[in-house]
Amino acid sequence: MVKYWKLLLAAGALIVAAAQAYAADQHALIKRGEYLAIAGDCGACHTEEGKAPFSGGHAIASPLGTIFSTNITPSKSAGIGNYSEAQFAAALRKGVRGDGSQLYPAMPYTAYARLTDDDVAALYAYFMHGVQPVDVKPEVTALPFPFNLRFSMAAWNLLFADSNVYQPDAKQTAQWNRGAYLVQGLTHCSTCHTPRNLLMAEQQAKILQGASLGTWYAPDITAATLQSKPRWTRQMLADYLATGHAANGATAGGPMLEAIDKSFSRMTPEDRQAIAAYLLPVDVEAAAPAAVKGLTPVAGNDLPQTLAGLSEGERVYRDSCASCHNLSGQGLNGLPALQHHPVLNKPTADNVAMAVLQGVWPEKEQGMIGFAGSLSDSQIAAVTNYVMQDMGHSAVRITPERVKALRAGGETSPLMLLSRVGMALAAVAAVLALLWLRKKRAARR
Amino acid sequence: MNKNYSADVVVIGAGVNGSLLATRLAKAGKSVLLLESGPKVGRDQLVECFRASAFKSDFMSPYPFSPMAPQPRYTPEPNDYLHQAGPHPFAAQYIRIFGGTSWHWAAQLWRFVPNDFRQHSQYGVGKDWPIGYEDLEDYYYQAETIAGVGGSPDNGSPRSKPYPMERVPASWLQQRVTARLAPDFTVLDDSTGRNSRSFDGRPACCGNNNCMPVCPIDAQYHGGIAAQQAENSGVKVITEAVAYQLEHDAQGRITAANYYDWNKVSHRVTAETFVLAANAIETPKLLLMSTSSTFPQGIANARDNVGRNLCDHPAIGVTFDVDEEIWPGRGPVSPCSIGQFRDGDFRREHAPFRIDISNASQVASVTKEVLAEGYFGKKLQEEIRFRAARRLSIKNALEQLPDPNNRVTLSGNKDALGLPTPSLYWDINDYVVKGTEKTRECYDAIAARLGATNVKHSKSGKFSNRQHITGTLSMGRDPATSVTDAWGRAHDHENLFMVGTGVMPTVGTCNVTLTAMALALRTADKILQETQHG
Repeated sequence: MVKYWKLLLAAGALIVAAAQAYAADQHALIKRGEYLAIAGDCGACHTEEGKAPFSGGHAIASPLGTIFSTNITPSKSAGIGNYSEAQFAAALRKGVRGDGSQLYPAMPYTAYARLTDDDVAALYAYFMHGVQPVDVKPEVTALPFPFNLRFSMAAWNLLFADSNVYQPDAKQTAQWNRGAYLVQGLTHCSTCHTPRNLLMAEQQAKILQGASLGTWYAPDITAATLQSKPRWTRQMLADYLATGHAANGATAGGPMLEAIDKSFSRMTPEDRQAIAAYLLPVDVEAAAPAAVKGLTPVAGNDLPQTLAGLSEGERVYRDSCASCHNLSGQGLNGLPALQHHPVLNKPTADNVAMAVLQGVWPEKEQGMIGFAGSLSDSQIAAVTNYVMQDMGHSAVRITPERVKALRAGGETSPLMLLSRVGMALAAVAAVLALLWLRKKRAARR
Repeated sequence: MNKNYSADVVVIGAGVNGSLLATRLAKAGKSVLLLESGPKVGRDQLVECFRASAFKSDFMSPYPFSPMAPQPRYTPEPNDYLHQAGPHPFAAQYIRIFGGTSWHWAAQLWRFVPNDFRQHSQYGVGKDWPIGYEDLEDYYYQAETIAGVGGSPDNGSPRSKPYPMERVPASWLQQRVTARLAPDFTVLDDSTGRNSRSFDGRPACCGNNNCMPVCPIDAQYHGGIAAQQAENSGVKVITEAVAYQLEHDAQGRITAANYYDWNKVSHRVTAETFVLAANAIETPKLLLMSTSSTFPQGIANARDNVGRNLCDHPAIGVTFDVDEEIWPGRGPVSPCSIGQFRDGDFRREHAPFRIDISNASQVASVTKEVLAEGYFGKKLQEEIRFRAARRLSIKNALEQLPDPNNRVTLSGNKDALGLPTPSLYWDINDYVVKGTEKTRECYDAIAARLGATNVKHSKSGKFSNRQHITGTLSMGRDPATSVTDAWGRAHDHENLFMVGTGVMPTVGTCNVTLTAMALALRTADKILQETQHG
């Protein structure tokens, strides 16, 4: 009898221990999923500022129209609470929703396709158990015809989507492979940094070679470019991902700054180093930038006669920029220098003009005011060109017309025109065919 | 061509108070017309004017002057726009451009202390307000939230909610002075509308130390921002529109306002409700100009109260060199103050006051001083550096009691549009003089604690203006002694309201803009409440 009790007690203890172990495992899994969701920057699109995490409704301006992100909380009525892990994986990696319909590739499923099964399981555990359900449906995306026909995306996927899980390269280090896994997958760098073709698919031959998002320009981040002027080292890249600035003078703005604030800065230093190691397989020592020491001497001539002789760009610069960036762009008391700033070395001046229009707003640290409300297109073009030329020694220029387009949110996609023309041609062809048939019939009679 | 607009509400004056009120009315669906006597000038142009000006320490010099909407100027010589009729000059500075006078300020946004509202019943001097601190507390908070205000919480003005903005980090000067004056003098962070982080599309203060005459990066809140928000909220703005005459009907309701554009073409605008927000000198001027057979002394002036009880904070100052380098000139120009003499039973006997510690760069003033002393060459540079690093400048804000003899009237002079210019009578009584004696005792004690040398008090019997102009449109319960009621409505004109510092019956011991902003928001709500059924 005593033995029997002992046995029962032992069994009970085992069950409790197993349950505890399971709970601990599950907890660790959810935690890992939370980290992966940060690395994947899911919140950038699925969390609207001021609203509950992952409850969706964030408006994403696409060249085809506004796409509203969905609620990905575990709500059974408004979110993804009914998704099985397989359905979750299909949405993440293939862009197929629980109901079988297609997602728009605003969701970077073409990148998330690289995710391992283990990571998908961790993300699933997090979204099912680590996120508070929110029973509110966000605004529904209504793209114009023909893009409202989601089945068209199936054909697009057939043409462009690569749904293979990341395969480690045995010849490379573990760090390099980790970096490759992140860059190609979760951090979906190519989503912005790879140019797209007419059908909005990434051009595999030009991977990470830089692309315009319509407004901001995501620069070339291939090793060859990172190693040329201005030079990046792995440490600079890692610092940049952690803080938004680097020792070569770079400061982040626009969507990259948002990605740094919400995602990269919250990743582990090891993962940032891995990304840097993958992007820069060969690290090159960079000459330390010349440190500015002591007080900045006051320079410049503010006599009215001098001011009258200034170009429009220099005048705007003095009136609106020099208080922070200093008279010749040498920066001031920790505020960014414009001399030698990497942004002036890009094949386009769009990012300079975008920063002037919208400002630069890091979550922490000093912000830069935007001038969309106070400067005209031609003034912004003039000051952008002044900075590009006089501080960046660049031959790249911007026109007031381009500033106007940037102000309006970029040019719309040619895809829209093409598809509408295509549809119209198809309709004309159909009508002609009908007429031809009728004539034929009439001729028979 | 004259344009004759009509709107639900016409607001005259696009300063911070008129703009806040206009914004709130427009957001509630009212059609609002905002008239501004001056032009619209961008921050970039003002920065350029400041840089090109020979008079860097004259806070008016960057603000473009026009004879069509003249403003008082003092450099190189006073332009005598304000005629001085009293024993003390009232050297008012105000800006007539879109956004108004708070373009140049240190963004000081203070609440009164509760006893300021019941001064007479508490201390037997001055006046009680028709409202109490508790009536304004929520509006104070609304105004603070719009402007992004931060400061020391325990400054004598109770709060139901914490400051909406974190404080700007203390400059080296502030840290040293605070440490060395404790515990006898408690140095507090000023209550200011200055960003310590990005807020409202504006960046954090980065220490240009140029709050006055113009913040080059809009880190501080000001009337230009408020006015632009009004325009963005759908308010129809007409600049270079100088109101000169209000019309009324047989019942005394205001029916129209007439204004000149800068070509002296007259225009007439009509509305259901009129709000005057043209500052505590220009609004009385407009009322006094608007005479008719029914109101021969002007609108809202049947009992001769318009323009009376003119108050400011008369100020005395002291400068000295501290025995260590404190380096004024980094961070905001006016970051901290001593508030322990703002309230107490002594208010029965003498004026209460706040002591303000300046953090403005002293390079220009010590350079002038050292040049006058005959220094040159290397020694000149050394002496400038030595004094600029150590110079501390302190001034106070003494509460002046309302006195009906201190007043704004119309002078016999005319401006370019043919409109009369203001005349000011200002005297200072014993209540203030006794307060200056107490202040000097404090100044000497402060100087001693800081190991001061080269101590220079401002000239005895002379007072500078702090530009906290109040009293001329006093609100009160009794029409015999006030111009407006507790809502800022003219006692004699049902549809005429006034906002701005002029409606404040007393001046307290703090900068007056936040109280005026809170009152303007409260008046806006009153107008909305009364006109909802219409």
